[in-house]
Formats: sequence, structure tokens, C-alpha cells
Amino acid sequence: MNIVFRNNLFKYVATTCFRSQLTATKLNVSFNRTLHTSNVSHDLMEFFDDKKNWNETNIKVGRAWKLDELRIKSNTDLHKLWYVLLKERNMLYTMEHECKEKVRLFPNPERIDKVQESMKNIETVVRERNIAYYTLETGETGERPVEQVVNRFGLKENYEKSEYIIPKFMNKKWVRPYLEHGLINSLAVKKFYRLYKEKLHNETRKARNRDYNHVQQLLKRFPDMDLEKLKAEYPNVDIEKAMRTKKARGHYFPKY
Amino acid sequence: MRIFGFLSKKVGDLTVKYSNLPESYIKRSYEQVYWKNPTGYPQYPKAQVTRKKFRFTTNRPWTAQFRQQNETGVLRKKVFLEPVGEWSFFKGDRVEVMVGKDKGKQGIVTQVIQERNWVFVEGLNTHLRVVGKDKDFPGVTVQSEAPLLVTTDVKLVDPENLKPTEIEWRYTEEGEKVRVSLASSRIIPVPKSAEETIDYKSKDLYIANPDKDTSADVVTKITFEAKLRTFEMDIMESMGIKEDRVPAKSYWY
Repeated sequence: MNIVFRNNLFKYVATTCFRSQLTATKLNVSFNRTLHTSNVSHDLMEFFDDKKNWNETNIKVGRAWKLDELRIKSNTDLHKLWYVLLKERNMLYTMEHECKEKVRLFPNPERIDKVQESMKNIETVVRERNIAYYTLETGETGERPVEQVVNRFGLKENYEKSEYIIPKFMNKKWVRPYLEHGLINSLAVKKFYRLYKEKLHNETRKARNRDYNHVQQLLKRFPDMDLEKLKAEYPNVDIEKAMRTKKARGHYFPKY
Repeated sequence: MRIFGFLSKKVGDLTVKYSNLPESYIKRSYEQVYWKNPTGYPQYPKAQVTRKKFRFTTNRPWTAQFRQQNETGVLRKKVFLEPVGEWSFFKGDRVEVMVGKDKGKQGIVTQVIQERNWVFVEGLNTHLRVVGKDKDFPGVTVQSEAPLLVTTDVKLVDPENLKPTEIEWRYTEEGEKVRVSLASSRIIPVPKSAEETIDYKSKDLYIANPDKDTSADVVTKITFEAKLRTFEMDIMESMGIKEDRVPAKSYWY
């Protein structure tokens, strides 16, 4: 990241009217991560929290930014918010590491998860906007092209394409023979594929039996249970069949 | 990832709401991953060996006591939960106890534990226990409530005639989902104390952190303008960055 760009950003942050207002109004919305524009530059000490927070055991902070809250913001706001969150994330990770080193309690580690969620949401919104532009102007999304191929294990894989200056036929160093027939038709790959499919089948069979057994046990223990709710929770189980089994018989005389 | 799909069924959404913590953090706090395959190697699938069976109690999943109760190697008998469907019991609800020595009495729900279909009613279904008994000290007798099962032991009370009723979730004309008592068709509103979390008792009582929190009016302010620009183009325009260079032709394969 070049220095010129960064300085411009700070200038923007100082002159913007985005101040976190200490409220007079009633707040219906729960609080979020900020645009905190105090713009103090303590050089490297910005990696650490405010000194008064160093001995705290519980630092209360609002929830993460939601997607719908970010979608109504302009691109410049999202850009600024990203850097605010980035700095906050760096600060939290530094504090976590430092607390580990000094064998101290790191208060509220969920703050990292909140920041990560906000940043993930910003990325989603920005990508949405870019995809909208590119699909409108060109036919394709501007994202990295992905192709579904069969990899050398005989399984389907998403192959992410890379950018090259020279075309494929000129590129002697780029080789992908395993993707063009040949090796995926070998005995070894076929055997692997067979065994892998068997493994997946075993997992689904066990899950199916597990659910069926669970339903039988529930029918045994809760004779007056609401069967519609049971059906909603275990849609793949044949409840009528389960009720007729020995495992589902309770220790009471059945009602006819 | 596969493991998230597994663990997401365990913790109830009321628990997540009450904790006021992000879901990823709650999962991270109680998951026990014993082995995870290294990433970046195509020959090793995304497999991990984790603990799948947890015993949920009054100790919430992100606490240290929960961790202690679900230590490695500790196996507990399986707890069978009757399917509840849509959860209808909230903190602050008036309920009547249907079983036990307090049968017929009404009380207010103080705690809800969805993972066990439990509800704790204030002052009802109690027992005495001695705390802190020592050689010299006789101990303090404390009256503590025992949990009540939502499906059988407890029923919501109709606010009109204060009798226990069956309820149904229905939509009002405005489109709001409400609980309706089947006996008198009266709406049973969700109590205000249901929005309580560990951090605040109600949303208006929450005190924002002045350094870190953004206030509601700033958050809800719409600054988005629909422009035919990408994100990068918009930023470059607002910063006055001009890019006249045309990128060379590249090939993607």
C-alpha cells in the first residue's frame, strides 16, 4: 500500500462529518463498530488499546455491522470503515498476543469475531456492487474465473485460473496433462473413486440409521409426542414404520 | 465446513440471543477439535476429529464450567429431547406449573435453556440445598429452583382469565407473528424481559462505548448513491486518482 494513498485517507477522515454522536435520541438499533474519527496518531502505540483498558476484565462493545446496514452506505464510507476495522483488528490481535505473553486474561475475545464478521460483510457488499457493474457492462463477473474440472483423484474440483502474459499454446512451463483424460482413466484413480464413493455412502447410511434409531427411542420415551413436529425435525424418517418396531415399544400398554 | 453444520444444531437461538455474542465465537468457545488435517495439501481432505456429543446444563456453552463438564474423555448418557417445534417460552412469561409439589401455582420465567427444553420459574419447584458446609461451619441453606420441561411440566397462562392454555403461533393483520391462546383467542405478547442479554437488560438501557460504538442515527443514515461505477472507480474519482494506462492483454488459464 503506497504512502500517498494512506495520507489522503487520513485527510478525508479528519474532514468528514462522520462523528460518532453520543446520543440524545433513543437508539432502536443495537450498536455497531465505529467510524471513530478522533484521528490520533500515536505511531506504534495505535497497535495497542487505550491505556485505561489495559487492566479491564470486561470491555463492552456493540455488535458487528450487518449486511443491510452496509448496503445503504456509499463506497467511500465502506472504504473508510474497512480501514477502521482493520486497525481495530490489528489492535485486538496485538493485545491478544501480548496478554498470552504476559499470562494475563484477554478481555472479550469475541470482539475479534465481531470485527471479522463486519469485514466479511463489507467484502460481500463490495463484491456484489462490482459484480453488478461487470455483468451489466461486460457479460461476465469481474471475479477470478473458476472452472469445474476433474482433478487427479477423479473428483470434481473448482480450478481457479491464473493470469499469464503469454497464451496457453506458447507457455511451455504450464502443463496440466492430468486434466486432459489420460491419468484419470487409470486403474488406481478408478479404484480410489470407488472406495471414496463407498465411504460417502457409508456415512449417509450411518446418518440415516442414526436418525431412525433416534426416532425409535423418542417414540419409546415420549408416547404423547406431537408427531407432526417430529416429522418436521426428521423429515427423512418413516415414522409409521418406526412406531411398529420393537425398539419403539414403551413399557406401557399400547393405546388402540 | 462440515463441523459447523454439526454444531449449529446444538445451541438454541435464544441462547445465542441472550449471550449477545457472535455465533462463530460461541462455536469456537465450546468446540473441541482433537485433530485437523493440514491445509494446502490436495491429498488430505478437509477432515477433522472433533467432539460431537456435549452435555448441556445450566452452565452456558461459552463458560469455563461447561468446558469442565465436557472435558476430553468425559462421556455422559444421551439426553432425549421431545421435539418442540417453534419455541414459545420466553423470560418474563407467566406460566403455570402442572406437575410436582407446586402444581397449580403460577410464576414468572427467570431462565430459559433451550438445549434441554428447560424453563426455570421464580420460586416454584424448589428444593433446599446446603452450601459451603465445613467442619466448623454448618453451611448456608439455599432454596434453588429445579428446571421444568417445557413440553409437559409447564403451560402458558392466558392473560384474560389467568388459566393455563395451549397456544399457537399466528400472524396478525400487520404481519407480526404472535402467540394466540387456543382457549380464548387472545394474544399473549412476548414480555419485555425477553430481550435481556448478558450485556444489557433492555435495548434502551444499553450504554454505548463512546470510542468504539456507532450511534443508531449514523448507522441508519443512507449515504449510498447509485452510480455506474465499480467500487475502485468510485474511490479513485473521490480521491482524484487518475489512471490512464491501459492494462496489457493477459490470458487466463
